[in-house]
Amino acid sequence: MINIKNLSKSYNKGAVKAVDNLNLQVKPGEIFGFLGPNGAGKTTTIKMVIGLLSADEGSITVNGFDTRKQSLEAKQSIGYVPDNPDVYERLTGLEYLNFMGDVYRVPAEVRKERIQYFTEMFDLNHAVSDLIKSYSHGMRQKIVLTGALIHDPALWVLDEPLVGLDPKSAHQLKELMRAHCDKGNSVFFSTHVLEVAEKLCDRIGIIHRGKLVAIGTLEELRKGDQVDTLESIFLELTEK
Amino acid sequence: MKMLFTLIKLQLNINFGISALKYRFRKEKTRLWEPVLVGLGIFVGIGSITLMMTMLMLGIFIAGKSVNHPEMVLTIAFVGGPFVVLIFGLFYIISAFYFSKDMDILIPLPLKPHEILGSKLAVVMVNEYLTLIPVIIPAILVYGIGTGQGFIYWLKSLILLVLSPVIPLAIGALIVVVLMRLINVRKSKDFFAVVGGFLSLLFGLGINFFAQRIPKGHEAEFFKQYLGQAGLIEHLGQKYPPSIWATYGLSLHNMKGNLDFLLYIAVSALLLLALVWIGNRFFYASILSGQEVTRKRRVLSADEMERSYRKESSPLMALLSREWKLLLRTPVYALNGLAGIIIGPFMVIMMFTAQREQREELFKLINNPEYIVPVSLGGLAFMLFTSGMNIVASTSISREGKSFWISKMIPAAASQQVMAKFLNSFLISAFGTIITGIVLVGFLNFAIWRTLVLIGIGLLGAGLIVCLNLMIDVLRPKLEWTNPQEAVKQNLNGFLGVLVSLLVIGILTGVSVAFIITKLPEWIIYLLLALIIAVLLIPSLWGLIKLSEWKYKNIEV
Ligand SMILES: Nc1ncnc2c1ncn2[C@@H]1O[C@H](COP(=O)(O)OP(=O)(O)OP(=O)(O)O)[C@@H](O)[C@H]1O
Ligand SMILES: [Mg+2]
Repeated sequence: MINIKNLSKSYNKGAVKAVDNLNLQVKPGEIFGFLGPNGAGKTTTIKMVIGLLSADEGSITVNGFDTRKQSLEAKQSIGYVPDNPDVYERLTGLEYLNFMGDVYRVPAEVRKERIQYFTEMFDLNHAVSDLIKSYSHGMRQKIVLTGALIHDPALWVLDEPLVGLDPKSAHQLKELMRAHCDKGNSVFFSTHVLEVAEKLCDRIGIIHRGKLVAIGTLEELRKGDQVDTLESIFLELTEK
Repeated sequence: MKMLFTLIKLQLNINFGISALKYRFRKEKTRLWEPVLVGLGIFVGIGSITLMMTMLMLGIFIAGKSVNHPEMVLTIAFVGGPFVVLIFGLFYIISAFYFSKDMDILIPLPLKPHEILGSKLAVVMVNEYLTLIPVIIPAILVYGIGTGQGFIYWLKSLILLVLSPVIPLAIGALIVVVLMRLINVRKSKDFFAVVGGFLSLLFGLGINFFAQRIPKGHEAEFFKQYLGQAGLIEHLGQKYPPSIWATYGLSLHNMKGNLDFLLYIAVSALLLLALVWIGNRFFYASILSGQEVTRKRRVLSADEMERSYRKESSPLMALLSREWKLLLRTPVYALNGLAGIIIGPFMVIMMFTAQREQREELFKLINNPEYIVPVSLGGLAFMLFTSGMNIVASTSISREGKSFWISKMIPAAASQQVMAKFLNSFLISAFGTIITGIVLVGFLNFAIWRTLVLIGIGLLGAGLIVCLNLMIDVLRPKLEWTNPQEAVKQNLNGFLGVLVSLLVIGILTGVSVAFIITKLPEWIIYLLLALIIAVLLIPSLWGLIKLSEWKYKNIEV
C-alpha cells in the first residue's frame, strides 16, 4: 500500500537532517504503527507521504501511484489527518464536509450516508451547522477525520490521531481502524501511546533521529525474548 | 517592576515582530531585501508625512503671524494630534484588549493584573507616539525656530510631547468602556470590525478630500481666510481646553503661561491614573470573560440536512465557493478585499461633488466632442484603478495560512485551484468595474453605449491585473501567520500587486495618449486597446497556470 524507498529530507538547507535514508513498506490489510521520540522525523515522513513536503531524495508510491508523478491519483487514495487540526474556521462543519465531498467527487447520496454515520458516531450532529471556529480541539479533530474519510480512501494516514480524543471517540476510532484494515485496506499512523501500538498494530516501525531503527511485528521486535515489553524495546533502541 | 519591563519588552517584540525579523536575518537568510524594503517604505512614508505636516504647519504659522497669533500653530497641533490619537486609540485599545490572542497565554502566568495591563497600555502608548510625532513635532519646531525660543521652551515642549497621548487616550478608553456596555462587541465582533474599518476608510478619504481643497502654494492665505478671522484659539479651546493650556504653556513665559503648563501636567497625571483605573476595573475583567463565538447549537432537521446534501457541485465550483465564503466571513479580508472596489467610484463621485465652478467646467469638458475620447479613457482608467486597488488576488494564497495543507492534500490540480482564485478575484474586480461604469453614466452623463464598451475593455484589463496579482502571490505566498490581519495588511504582496497594477495602468495610459495624439477614430482606439490587453492576457494566464503547477509542488507546509 505504501512503499517508501531511500527517503531523505533535511530542513534549513541541510542543517537539520529530519529523515535519513528511510525504507519501509505498509502492506494491504495492515495497521502500521510509527513510533519514535519527539523530533525523530515521524511527522516529516508522513507529510512526504501525503505530498505536503517534497523529498530531497528517494521515492514513495501509494496504492501503486508514484506520489510525485501521479500525485492526484495518489492523493485520491489517501485520507489524512494532521497532528494539528488547522482547518477553515469560517466554514461550518457541514460546509467543510461538503467541500471535501465535492473535491473528492463523492456522489451526494454516498456523502450523505457517510456524514450521517460519522457525525452520529462522533456526537457532532448538533454542531455541524456551526462555524468550526466554535469547535473544541477534539471536535475539530473529529471533523477533519470525517472529512478525510468521506471518500472512503484505501489508505488512512493519521498523525497522532488519538491525542485529544475522549475515551469513547478514541475507542471508536480504533475500532474503525481495525474494521478498515480487515477489508484489505491499510492504516499508517504515528503515536506515542505504546499500549495502543502494542494492542492495535499489526506491524511497528521505530524511527530515531531520522533513521528507522526497528521494524516488524511485536514478536519480531522482541526477537523471541518473551519478557520484553514494547516500552523496554523502545527505550533501549532510542537510548542514545 | 522588573517583571513589568520584561513584559513590556515582550509585548513590543510581538507588536513589531522583532524576533521574527531577527530569525529571518540570522537563520533563514532568505528574502532579506523584504524587511529592508518595508523599513524603507515606512521610513519614506513617515518622512513624507512629517514633511507634509511641516509644510502645513509652516503655512499655519505664517497665517497666524500675520494676524498676530503665531501660537495658533501650537493650538492646532495640540488639537489635531490628540484628535488623531483619539481615533486611532480606539482601535489600538480595542485590538489590544478585546481582540488580542496572547491573553490566553499571559493570564495563566504568575503575573499581577497590573503588570499585564501596564504592558498592554505601554504598547498602545508606543503606537500612539508613532502616530503623534509627525503632527506635533513639526509644530513645535516651526514655532520654536520661527519665534526664536530658548531652552525653557524646548524643555517644556519635550514634557508636553511625552504627555500628549495621555488625555486623548483616557477619553478613548472611556468611550470604549461605554461602547462595550452598549453593544456586546465580542458577540458582534465581526460586524464591529467591518463597520469600524469602513468608518476609518471614509475618515481617511474625507481627510484627503479636505486636503485637496487647500490651494497648493497658497496654504497660508487659505488658513488665514479660513481660520484667521477672530479668536480661533479661544474657539478651538472651548472644544478642547487642553490645547489652550498647551498653547499658552509653551508660548507665554509669564505667570499665566506657567499656570497653564502646570495645569496640563496635572490634568494629564490625573487622567493617567484614571486610565489605569479604567483598565483595572473594566479591561482586565473583559479579558477574563473569554472569546466566544455565536453558536446555534441545534440539530438540523431532516429536511435541512437533506437540502444541504443535494448541493453537489464540481470541484471548481466547490473551490470557488470556499474562496468566496472565507473572504466574506473574515472581517479583515472582507474589508480589505472590498474596500478597493469602492475607491474608483468614490473618486468619480468626488469629482462630481467638486466646487460649483469646477463642476461646471468639468461638465463642459465632458460634453465637448473634442475631448470625448480622452475623457472616456479617463473613465476607463478609473475602472482599471478600481481593479488595481483590489488586493484579493495578491493575497489569495497567503490568506490560506496554516490551513494550506488542505489545498495540498486534496486531489485538485494546482491549476484548478488557482483558477478558482482567479475567478473569485475577477468577479470582485468585475463588480467594481461595473459600479464605476454605473457611476460614470449616472453622475457624469456618459453615453450608455460608450460606457458598455469601456466596461468591456475594463473587464479585460481587470482579468490581466488579477492574473498578474495572483502570480505575485503564487510566487511568494506568506503562509506563516497567526492573525488574519498579517495575511493582508502586513503582506508585501498586496503592495507589490498594487505597484504592478499601476504599472499596467501606466503603460495603457501611455499607449492611449499615443493613440489620441495620432488622432485615431474613437472606435479604433477602443479596439486596439482591447486587442493589446487580450494579447497580454493570454500568455499571462498561461504563465499563471504553469507557474502554479510548478510552485504548488514546492510550497512546503
Ligand atoms: N518546519 C521545520 N523547519 C525546520 N526544522 C523542522 C521543521 N519541522 C520539523 N523540523 C525538524 O525536523 C525534525 C523532525 O521533526 P518531526 O516533526 O518530523 O518530528 P516528530 O517525530 O513528528 O516529533 P513529535 O513526536 O514531537 O511530533 C526535528 O528535528 C525538527 O526540529
Ligand atoms: Mg509529529
